[in-house]
Amino acid sequence: MRFKMKYKISYAEADRLIEKYYEGLTTGAEEKQLQKFLMQSDLPDRYKPEQAIFGYFYHKKAKTHVSMLSYMRWTAVAAIVLLIAVGPQLFVSTNQSSYAYIDGRKVSDMRQIKTQALASLVDISSSKDEVKESLKSINDTELIEQQLDVFSK
Amino acid sequence: MITDMRPIKKYLILTLVLGLGSILPTLQAQNDLQISKAFDQYGERKGVVMVELTDEMLNGYDFSLFKSLTIKDNPSAADFIRKCLVKDEVGAKKVKQVVTNGVATSIYLQLPRKGQFYRLILFNEVFKPEQKITLIYIESKNDSEDVLKLILKKK
Repeated sequence: MRFKMKYKISYAEADRLIEKYYEGLTTGAEEKQLQKFLMQSDLPDRYKPEQAIFGYFYHKKAKTHVSMLSYMRWTAVAAIVLLIAVGPQLFVSTNQSSYAYIDGRKVSDMRQIKTQALASLVDISSSKDEVKESLKSINDTELIEQQLDVFSK
Repeated sequence: MITDMRPIKKYLILTLVLGLGSILPTLQAQNDLQISKAFDQYGERKGVVMVELTDEMLNGYDFSLFKSLTIKDNPSAADFIRKCLVKDEVGAKKVKQVVTNGVATSIYLQLPRKGQFYRLILFNEVFKPEQKITLIYIESKNDSEDVLKLILKKK
């Protein structure tokens, strides 16, 4: 908003500058001011000829300049923030990819690592059957005898 | 000019937020758990096997992170892990618990999702033929129930 206000001039002032321009009496600064005024999209139709003279070329140039600057600035900000956030993660993941420790010795052979991983999974999955087996081993007769023993004491 | 800049800002901010949103949860989701202490304390000791697999397939299991700890003949380690699990149980769904002589020998926990990852903790202790503890931590993009079913199905 501040950027826009800086170049806003009144219609009377613009008319005065246009007149001065056609007479060849405008300074460089005034021409710039006029160009920026003519870049506005909501101007009355009477400014169309002047817009055609100045506006089109200047507009094209200015747009590219500002959007590129803005794009680069924001890209830089985004890149810095992402680097701060992702940098340590990249560092961590390169150091902490797959590995195993066997008896305190680091192993990086993938086949060995996977074998150990699978072995631990087997330990877990076999525990399910172990529970079943242990339940099976206590048959009803034994259970009844154990319960009766409690009362006989 | 100003209106031209807005979509760029919006686009970059959105990219940044989405980028960070997808990356930050992956930053060691396991670190907020007590069991990470067990991995740190016992992982590199003698008589212990510790495995860490990142983004690997294991016999059809698709794990973003797989960590396991197998400890032999160390009852105090089992007690330590059980204490860690008591804390990690808070907010988690206890899928299975087997108590033998008043002591939990098997615990499966389904942890709340962290970002895009489903998380599981599996703990098991056996005494025959020798005392052996197995602790597994899993992060997967697949539903933890499916992962659990797969693990228990395969043997």
